[in-house]
Amino acid sequence: MSFSNIRREDASRAVIVHAILLTYTLVALYPIFLIVINAFKTRKGIFRDPMGLPNAETFSIEGFTKVLAKSNFELFFYNSFTVTIVTIVIVLLLASMAAWALSEYKFPGNTALALYLAIGIMVPIRLGSVSILNLIVDLGLVNTLTALVLVYVAQGLPLAIFILTEFMHQIPKDLKEAARCDGVGEFKIFFAIILPLIRPAVATVAVFTMIPIWNDLWFPLILAPGDGKQTITLGVQQFIGQYVTDWNAVLASLSLAIIPILILYLIFSRQLIRGLTSGAVK
Amino acid sequence: MADLKLDQIRKRYGAVDVLHGIDLDVKDGEFVVFVGPSGCGKSTLLRIIAGLEEITGGELMIDGDVVNTKSPRDRGIAMVFQSYALYPHMTVYKNMAFGLKLDKQDKSAIDARVREAARILQLDQLLDRRPSELSGGQRQRVAIGRAIVRQPKVFLFDEPLSNLDAALRVQTRLEIAKLHQDLKSTIVYVTHDQVEAMTLADKIVVMNGGNVEQVGSPMQLYHHPETRFVAGFIGSPAMNFTNVRIDAVAPGKVTVSAPGGIKSVLPFEVPQSEVGKIVELGIRPEHLAPGDEETLSVNGEVDVVEKLGDSTYLYIKLANGDRVTVRAPGHSRIKIGDMVTASAPAGAAHLFDGDGKAFVKVDYPAEFSAEE
Amino acid sequence: MAHSGPMTDWRKAKLPVIAFLAPATIIYTLFMIYPLLDSIRLSFYATPSGGEAAFVGLDNYRTILADPDWASVFWNSFWNNMKFFAVHMLVQNPIGIALAGILSLPQLRFRNTYRTMMIMPTMLSVVIVGFIWQLILSPVWGVGADLLDIVGLKSLFGPWLGKEASALITLSFISVWQWVGIPLMLIYAALLAIPDDLVDAAVVDGATHFEVFIHIKLPLVLPTVAMVSILTFVGNFNAFDLIYAVKGALAGPNFSTDIMGTLFYRTFFGYQLQLGNPHLGATVASLMFLIILGGVLFYLFAIQRRLARYQM
Repeated sequence: MSFSNIRREDASRAVIVHAILLTYTLVALYPIFLIVINAFKTRKGIFRDPMGLPNAETFSIEGFTKVLAKSNFELFFYNSFTVTIVTIVIVLLLASMAAWALSEYKFPGNTALALYLAIGIMVPIRLGSVSILNLIVDLGLVNTLTALVLVYVAQGLPLAIFILTEFMHQIPKDLKEAARCDGVGEFKIFFAIILPLIRPAVATVAVFTMIPIWNDLWFPLILAPGDGKQTITLGVQQFIGQYVTDWNAVLASLSLAIIPILILYLIFSRQLIRGLTSGAVK
Repeated sequence: MADLKLDQIRKRYGAVDVLHGIDLDVKDGEFVVFVGPSGCGKSTLLRIIAGLEEITGGELMIDGDVVNTKSPRDRGIAMVFQSYALYPHMTVYKNMAFGLKLDKQDKSAIDARVREAARILQLDQLLDRRPSELSGGQRQRVAIGRAIVRQPKVFLFDEPLSNLDAALRVQTRLEIAKLHQDLKSTIVYVTHDQVEAMTLADKIVVMNGGNVEQVGSPMQLYHHPETRFVAGFIGSPAMNFTNVRIDAVAPGKVTVSAPGGIKSVLPFEVPQSEVGKIVELGIRPEHLAPGDEETLSVNGEVDVVEKLGDSTYLYIKLANGDRVTVRAPGHSRIKIGDMVTASAPAGAAHLFDGDGKAFVKVDYPAEFSAEE
Repeated sequence: MAHSGPMTDWRKAKLPVIAFLAPATIIYTLFMIYPLLDSIRLSFYATPSGGEAAFVGLDNYRTILADPDWASVFWNSFWNNMKFFAVHMLVQNPIGIALAGILSLPQLRFRNTYRTMMIMPTMLSVVIVGFIWQLILSPVWGVGADLLDIVGLKSLFGPWLGKEASALITLSFISVWQWVGIPLMLIYAALLAIPDDLVDAAVVDGATHFEVFIHIKLPLVLPTVAMVSILTFVGNFNAFDLIYAVKGALAGPNFSTDIMGTLFYRTFFGYQLQLGNPHLGATVASLMFLIILGGVLFYLFAIQRRLARYQM
């Protein structure tokens, strides 16, 4: 490319634009980076040279050893993982079934039901915590992962139904009409034709459902605060409360909580944005 | 109004060359149409003229000034987009006034210009409407109005008719032609539709694969295509092609033949070195007629018949497998399965070498000439 | 809900329709709608020590809003929450909009990488974010002062999280740092939906990229900006995790970082010597519900109706 053909104002504007973007990227990432690098240092390293990368002298994984020895991080991960995966599967299945019924069938109260199911998008479920706790106590589910799953399914459904309904409106009518002409039953139309078609929206819905659940502190705190049922967020919170002065352990526990979610995010970020921009959310 | 000059314009996206050095002169007041199949680079070239794409190499001049690095606003151009690209949140009036407002023009001057354009395009009653309240044809006129108010040196049209239905397309085509007569402005117009190109253009630029195949008036392109591509692209239904062998050449004469009957002497200047080679013979369907009265005849079985009323198209399968379209009179009684001979005057033939370049035709009657 | 095309009459498929709708509707009703309504019901009851719950009308509300001990705490947390929200509206959303606008510039290189990186903090748990910043701002570690030193502002550094005057603002900025990704993501997606031709047309009309943003792009994404604002409002008046993680349930120093969420938690579960009271907790939750409902209704009727969504 011959340089003379680039407008000078374009070139200088590009420099400014990238300077702004780089600056903000640094603001967004540096704090996370700082925590993770210091988790791999000795206590001395953490305080003498907080901004340096771990080197031969300062490298240490004593923080991680301590965390894994003194706390049950594997179990916390297992709990968070179970709750999140089970919830996502249930939310996706129930929400796509409901979204399909709302977008496909004409029945009395269709619009009213859609609005009813949308209330939960705007009204936070936390406000019902007093009754939720009573309910969970009555059901004998205190300190169980089941309690968390039930609440998170209820929390995840409204937005999932809304996004999937919007998405289902875009499915061409011809497909299901062709199937009906062939005498395919309504259940089979949904499971064999519609479910495979909504895959692009599923990634978006899964991420939107997953992030708040994985990161939640509130419900683990009130519904399942002990007995080895802690999720990773609550586990870290309790651990740090206990070892607040042990910097190695604190930094290591934070890194353990940060790294998996960031890896997951990097894997799924493309689908997330694609779902957002393909009109799954309006 | 102004002239436009392109000198070896190149465009590269990464490693892909999209335009390979385009030369073109557009005279003041001329209506130039870029035509070609999709992906030929015509829209890219238009966007380069508009300043929406950077030029990789070469020089672009508008009204004598090199504008390579000038922003669109400093080029004195206005553009009408295929999608109309009307600002959905502004009224028709504001859509048309937007550019002038950015230009910090005087309010009353803006008003005068917008109302004048609205009058020309019969948009007076619609000035307070939003684009969503307009029909396709009305949106199209607003898009043109937005270009007119800016009083540009050069108008750029990017496939402006392709979103309209067939009837409206013909009507709007006429309106654009009339607008050009009234405004006497320089217009560069992109389309993939050769009918639009033929009806509107003073000068057609046929593009293919990032190159200009031929530049000329509609009649020049129709009668004297310089390449097989242009010959096949201009004209509807498309020109027939079939392979023939060069048997002998003499000054201004060439003898060609093909298995299954074709054997003719045609008025072309062909070098001696071509003797024995296979070349392509082209004849337009409208120059062929059933019967063997003319010099150049083909025959075969009719396998499709299309009746259009005023004429009937016969699709004849030749012995070598090529299919030839023949325009027969509307009252033709020829049916599928008939063996038919069709013939054309030798002067109607076109001959292309192995690279698709046309051989020079000599001594042909006036009806096959672009001269007026 | 807008719908295109004919819908199938459910009478041809009653069983499937019920089977499709029932599971979601039941779980949602049981664990979301019922608790919300029941919480409101509970706010009209009280349990005297050792007695049965009894209907007390608006007594609980009177306690929270008028009792000298409670009212000052409640209004303190309400106004703190308003400040928390104001910082998000004035800092988070403009930054998010500006970054989204820059990211949507034509022919920008590394667009996806920037976007992915900038949204990263949003993916982290609020608790983790709270601890990250608590460490960075800790005078014991001193890395915050070192960072300010790089830009020559070391003298400004102080124990911001520990001071009554600055703790809430600092926490608001930490929250902004985390949540900028939401306006960024939603407005960026809305900006991408604007056809390229519109931008090209404006450029040909003589607009600079800044003018294109102000006159064309921003007006077209205003509905999304409004939606982001109400999401911010709901999120802020429902916030809890950050304050709890950094400052604990007491939201110190001296309740200067107390917001509705932490007040709700303390009222419900109690803290130190004060016992938790589910009925007063439900009352605080109901008041939060009213505030959020007010915001949502204001958005639905006063704002959303006036903002036309344009077909593009």
